[in-house]
Amino acid sequence: MKTRAYVNARLFPISRPPIEKGLFLVRDGKIVFAGQGEVPADAEVIDLTGKTVLPGFVDEHAHVGLWGEWYGQPQQDGNEATNPVTPEVRAIDSVWPAHSAFNDARSGGVTTVQVTPGSGNIIGGEMAVIKTVGKVIDDMIVKNPSGMKAALGENPKGLYGRNGKMPSTRMGNAAILRAALYKAKDYEKKLAAAEKDPTKAPDTDLGLLGLLKVLRGEIPLRIHAHRADDIVTAVRIAEEFGIDFSIEHCTDGATVAEFLGKRKAKVNVGPSMWHRAKVETWNISLETAGILAKAGCRVSIISDHPFHPIQFLSTAAAMCWANGMSEEDALRAVTLTPAETLGVADRVGSLDEGKDADFVVWSGHPFQIRSKVEQVFIGGVKVFG
Amino acid sequence: MKPMAVTNARILTCAFGAVPEVIEKGTVLWSGGKITAVGSSVEIPSDAIVIDAEGKVVTPGFIDAHCHIGISEDGAGWAGEDTNEATDPVTAEVRALDGINPKDIAFRDAVAAGVTCVQVDPGSANIIGGETLVMKTWGTVVDDLVVKRPSGLKAALGENPKRVYGTQRKMPATRMGNAAVMRKALTAAKDYLRKKENAKEPDKVPDLNLRNEMIAKVLKKEIPLRVHCHRADDIMTAIRIAREFDIDISIEHCTEGDLMGEQVKASGYPVTLGPSLTDKSKLEVKDIGFAAPVALSKLGVKLAIITDHPVLPIQYLRICAGLCVREGMDERIALLAITRHAAEIAGVADRVGSLEPGKDADLVIWSKDPLEYDAKAERTFINGEEVDHRRERGGLL
Repeated sequence: MKTRAYVNARLFPISRPPIEKGLFLVRDGKIVFAGQGEVPADAEVIDLTGKTVLPGFVDEHAHVGLWGEWYGQPQQDGNEATNPVTPEVRAIDSVWPAHSAFNDARSGGVTTVQVTPGSGNIIGGEMAVIKTVGKVIDDMIVKNPSGMKAALGENPKGLYGRNGKMPSTRMGNAAILRAALYKAKDYEKKLAAAEKDPTKAPDTDLGLLGLLKVLRGEIPLRIHAHRADDIVTAVRIAEEFGIDFSIEHCTDGATVAEFLGKRKAKVNVGPSMWHRAKVETWNISLETAGILAKAGCRVSIISDHPFHPIQFLSTAAAMCWANGMSEEDALRAVTLTPAETLGVADRVGSLDEGKDADFVVWSGHPFQIRSKVEQVFIGGVKVFG
Repeated sequence: MKPMAVTNARILTCAFGAVPEVIEKGTVLWSGGKITAVGSSVEIPSDAIVIDAEGKVVTPGFIDAHCHIGISEDGAGWAGEDTNEATDPVTAEVRALDGINPKDIAFRDAVAAGVTCVQVDPGSANIIGGETLVMKTWGTVVDDLVVKRPSGLKAALGENPKRVYGTQRKMPATRMGNAAVMRKALTAAKDYLRKKENAKEPDKVPDLNLRNEMIAKVLKKEIPLRVHCHRADDIMTAIRIAREFDIDISIEHCTEGDLMGEQVKASGYPVTLGPSLTDKSKLEVKDIGFAAPVALSKLGVKLAIITDHPVLPIQYLRICAGLCVREGMDERIALLAITRHAAEIAGVADRVGSLEPGKDADLVIWSKDPLEYDAKAERTFINGEEVDHRRERGGLL
């Protein structure tokens, strides 16, 4: 395929400072060059004078394709809310690539998303990182599994507690999470014993095998926690088991910013433009993302689509910037930071040689409200505009 | 109280007539809670408190013409949820006034984002949901905050009422049922009015019926019916019924208004649009966004941009207006849609919505163009008094 040379745009590689009147080369779906230089003689030249080019946004936490929205009950596939511990379920088995939310994602310049089960269960299932275009989910996958979803706080205790089942308290939430992890540890011992004596092999347990990926450090436990006490509980349990973790939502994070900062915690902040829908979200604030970034956390800004519509992820980042987060941190929080914490920075998150040609042509800086997403490319192919 | 003035600011008066819409390096002077002068060469009394706002932008306080602030209290759960008296599809007799808690924390968010006046509506579970009012956003006693009441009677078509009652096997369970329940309620009030008027002797006068009394205000065109309708067919049903009964309505939400812009315009009814920055939570809002506000603005339909708080938190009213501009709405129209036009649609333009002599001194000093993401409402005044929302009791941490 011929090299395409996008010339004269302002480039935001994210990994490096912005480049005025840059040269951006794409071939065979990959970025060949992003910087300043001579246009190769054989390249097809596209003039983007006056435009701004950024990497496609990466949304580290969303329910795109899993959730009903206007499709209603037949498409409620986000929470397998029949048991508080369901590590055996996998997001990719629910994600519907034809869901209109993927269109919305592309229209907002979001090209990569971590799709996640909901927070009804203490352990909700496996997550995956996918591109936002495609007809077959397997072809959209960048990384699977990318994490195991867990949840603390109101959702699980509300869901099960009102049916008279455990968990009905925050103590119960923590106990169930611990019990599940210990069970997986025991399972690992049995598997080890079976290596010497195959007759001792335990029955296959898909859920425990899923949790073993967490215990072995292959994937992080991504723990939904809004209130400060739930955040602290999440850290306590993760550290008890020595597992990699992230705090999802982290709504009350500013209250414990120092505690999280000294751990350089991975925090996925959002949806920050929501109302105080629950008691655990009372301290919702647009300042949280910036405070946590300053404290030393690795901050991603998330849509939690549909709670904040994914096409407005740039608006969420802009509002965090308008409320104290640095421009660099806020842009990074929807591009390279999530790519790094998801372990997919070799593929996406910045305009750098060798990465997938996932990029967005903006009419101006995304933090100016009148800037529009004009064209979106995934793997070098135009998917919007 | 001493008179006060803001000087040297870029003033977006949003006015119509004698006062220009934009005044560079202008002054707003107020006294006793009312604006006394606006212009580029205003004589400031020697005893006035003067705020030099050089480099700043001054606007009227913003107005959200459709929201549920105070009645659907933020973060308060069941205890603070008083939006829908969903026990009967017709509850014209209930009043938003009796459900509003002025201490809802969301009022703090409103003031912090320059929203000084709101129309609070009952919800859309009922075909006729109750009376709406217009109020200021800062204070303790709701009665003192009222600008106008009733400002309308809330009604609803589409999914919400037929879902709420249909799932209980009660009427309405269909859109046909929605329309029939609305017609029956209007007809019953007509009969009630006729009986009252025809009663020659005191003992023939029908018993006072608060429900019919309220609907009668709509029939007499004292207030409009404010009809929640998203889908194009529901919008047309609202227009059809309004014509049948010769009443005034406002079209609330009007999500598919772009599909039938000519009909909306020809109807002459005003529209409120939004919340555009929200999820597609049901079939009737599957195309919610900016298409309708932009298309209808281009047709010259009078419109207000709304948050429907808490559906979209009220502090993002200005962001919705800014995003409408991004999507093609004229900047001036977008600003009017959260100021004077919103006031006109809510029926309170004699008091608020523009900076003109005689109007309430509700104004905001902004760090920059308020439709930009990073604009800050630096100082907010309601009835001429500065509101210090940061010092309000009841912090959350």
